[in-house]
Amino acid sequence: MRFFRSRLSPPILLLMPAFVIIVLVVAVPLLFSLYTSFTGYRLVKPDSLWQWVGLRNYQRLLSDVDFWWAFGRTLVFLTVALNLELVLGLGIALLIDKLTAGQRVIRTIMMFPMMFSPILVGFQFKYIFNDNVGLVNNAIQSLGWENVTIPWLVNPITANLAILMAEVWMSTPIFAILLLAGLMAMPRDPIEAAKVDGCNPWQVFRHITLPYLMPFVYIAMAIRSLDVARAYDMVKIMTNGGPAGRTELLWTLIARTGYQDARMGMANAMSYASILLSVYFTVYFFRKLAAARRTMGGVE
Amino acid sequence: MRFMRGIQAALFSCAALGALTAVASAEDAANWGSFPGYTLKVKLIGGTQYEKLYTRIPEWEKATGAKVEIVSSKNHFELDREIKQDIATGAITWCVGSNHTSFAPQYGDIYVDLKTLIPQATLDEFVPGTLASSMVDGRLVQLPRVTDVSNLYYLKDLYENADNKAKYKEKFGTELAPPTTYDELKQQVIFFANPPNLYGTAFAGKDEGMTGRFMEIVRANGGDMFDENWKPIFNSKAGVDALQWFIDIYNAKAVPAGTVNYTWDDIGQAFAAGTLAVDLDWPGFAAFYNDPAKSKVAGNVGFALSPLGTAGKRGGWSGSHSFSVTEACDNKPAAASLITFLTDYDSEMLEARAGNLPTRTKAFTDVVEEFKKSDTPYMAEMFAVWEKSLADARTPPLVPQWIEVSNVIWPELQAAIVGQKTAQEALDTAAKKATQIMEDAGVLQ
Repeated sequence: MRFFRSRLSPPILLLMPAFVIIVLVVAVPLLFSLYTSFTGYRLVKPDSLWQWVGLRNYQRLLSDVDFWWAFGRTLVFLTVALNLELVLGLGIALLIDKLTAGQRVIRTIMMFPMMFSPILVGFQFKYIFNDNVGLVNNAIQSLGWENVTIPWLVNPITANLAILMAEVWMSTPIFAILLLAGLMAMPRDPIEAAKVDGCNPWQVFRHITLPYLMPFVYIAMAIRSLDVARAYDMVKIMTNGGPAGRTELLWTLIARTGYQDARMGMANAMSYASILLSVYFTVYFFRKLAAARRTMGGVE
Repeated sequence: MRFMRGIQAALFSCAALGALTAVASAEDAANWGSFPGYTLKVKLIGGTQYEKLYTRIPEWEKATGAKVEIVSSKNHFELDREIKQDIATGAITWCVGSNHTSFAPQYGDIYVDLKTLIPQATLDEFVPGTLASSMVDGRLVQLPRVTDVSNLYYLKDLYENADNKAKYKEKFGTELAPPTTYDELKQQVIFFANPPNLYGTAFAGKDEGMTGRFMEIVRANGGDMFDENWKPIFNSKAGVDALQWFIDIYNAKAVPAGTVNYTWDDIGQAFAAGTLAVDLDWPGFAAFYNDPAKSKVAGNVGFALSPLGTAGKRGGWSGSHSFSVTEACDNKPAAASLITFLTDYDSEMLEARAGNLPTRTKAFTDVVEEFKKSDTPYMAEMFAVWEKSLADARTPPLVPQWIEVSNVIWPELQAAIVGQKTAQEALDTAAKKATQIMEDAGVLQ
């Protein structure tokens, strides 16, 4: 104890517990999984943890066309889903912000989709888009196109769109609620001043509201880009990456490899390749966040 | 000499009869042991159809003085994941686990050989083939609870319709009757299909369901998944013909296009909604299909044996839900007692009355009699058909790599079915990946 007091400054001492916890909870598992990605580790054979295979898992990944297709598809899915959720969430937040009565009720109703587990959302949308007994095809047939049966979850475009729709339905409220918090915290004076100066609503939104909201946007984007893998359960239920890998995302591929096939070494190699994605998105959004805060005169 | 042989046979018959009576009476006065104060930790498969049996657990607790603590109750895929995590972390702190013949080979030696814990006389009461399928590397690692094998369900009114009969005869020159071969089945599902109101059939198009159905037809065509050295051989002519069967009915729109994403529940719902003419499916659906509250086709369902392939054989893809006892268990006799109790005659009758195929020979015959007496010939007829098919029942290859191999096969089957690849290309790709898996595992040199 005397050693710590004499050698370490009080700030370091005070931060020590946090460092220790982060090392134990984050760094150790990360290093362990990085190590296993260089082994032939199989869940059902604990001894295989010591079976060093060097770069073999990564070499196999490099030549694995299915993996790179899943990687590319995940990248597109993330980009489209996050942007779509942002636009819709912003629209909803702006509309709710305008409400003068019943705002609390609407806010609560808006959060309903967030309360569903992704598995339930998966079953719900699988049923909606079922080509035989599904709601969408039944609606189309009831409208007079009696012989029209669209295989929503089979066609490569509609299947990915269906999954995207389920994801957007489930997660848009997160954007809406974060952006609504930003809108509610926003000072009204600049807006009123702009209106007095003759700005039209679009100009007010473009030059005052939006720049003010940008830090909230990037925080929401950063959180969602990391949290979007929650959609795994939903995709697993709706298509499990099929048919023929048409909706395969990194999450379904990694989970199947790691758990069903029990090839945890290979699954971790896949995860490390995909971590690059998460790191890229996080760095990108945090840099944008810092820039936005600078624009607003905030402190970095 | 012949006279002596006759006496010998008569004596042997009497002895056998005596032995059977002894076994039956042993069962009547079953002693489940005494384990007062002991808490047995179990991980059981969850879900409505499986949990009814667990209502018997308090009876066992009362008889033995032990308590059963269900530490996990999940669907089989989640349970499988959890068990693998337990193996990885060395945290097998439970005694009894639900198992399945398809999953069991993966778990290595975490489960005990039940032949060392359960008397042979008790094991002799199980259906021999079902018990044999529960062995892995010569060890009885699980005690089967219910068996699954598929046969045909069909809508009777379609087959009895005079117009259908006339058109079918005119088109094919034969009488319209439930199919006996896969070629006939293909012909009939295409004949009946009138999408989107009626499809000929649907098949499980993803996961092990897809691989299993494919395997069934490969075997019926005289092929197999592996040769005796574990080399994948499903890209043979038998395999290509099997896959072509799926492609043909898919292209003819005799199945819903979405069938490549269907699992058992989707197919069950579609047949119960009256949108499928024929359904090759598991016995557990029989009661559901005939329940007017849940099914539009109640009272209109017929049964037929699963079709024969080009080799004149039935594929008979089969599997059993089961219970296992862990090596790490600190009270194996208690665990063995519980799983024997959960698969005893009364438990098996409970399963059978719900429409599941029991694993005890006596329960099989008794439940049919019971259904006949209680004026439910539908279920009696179902059991009669399913019992016949048990002779051809065969599990998937009992090798730890089966699920992994299945996971490289079904996406390729899907690719061929939706027209991205030819049957041969898809199977060659799958066989190449499967070969790599078997080589990596050191099973195939």
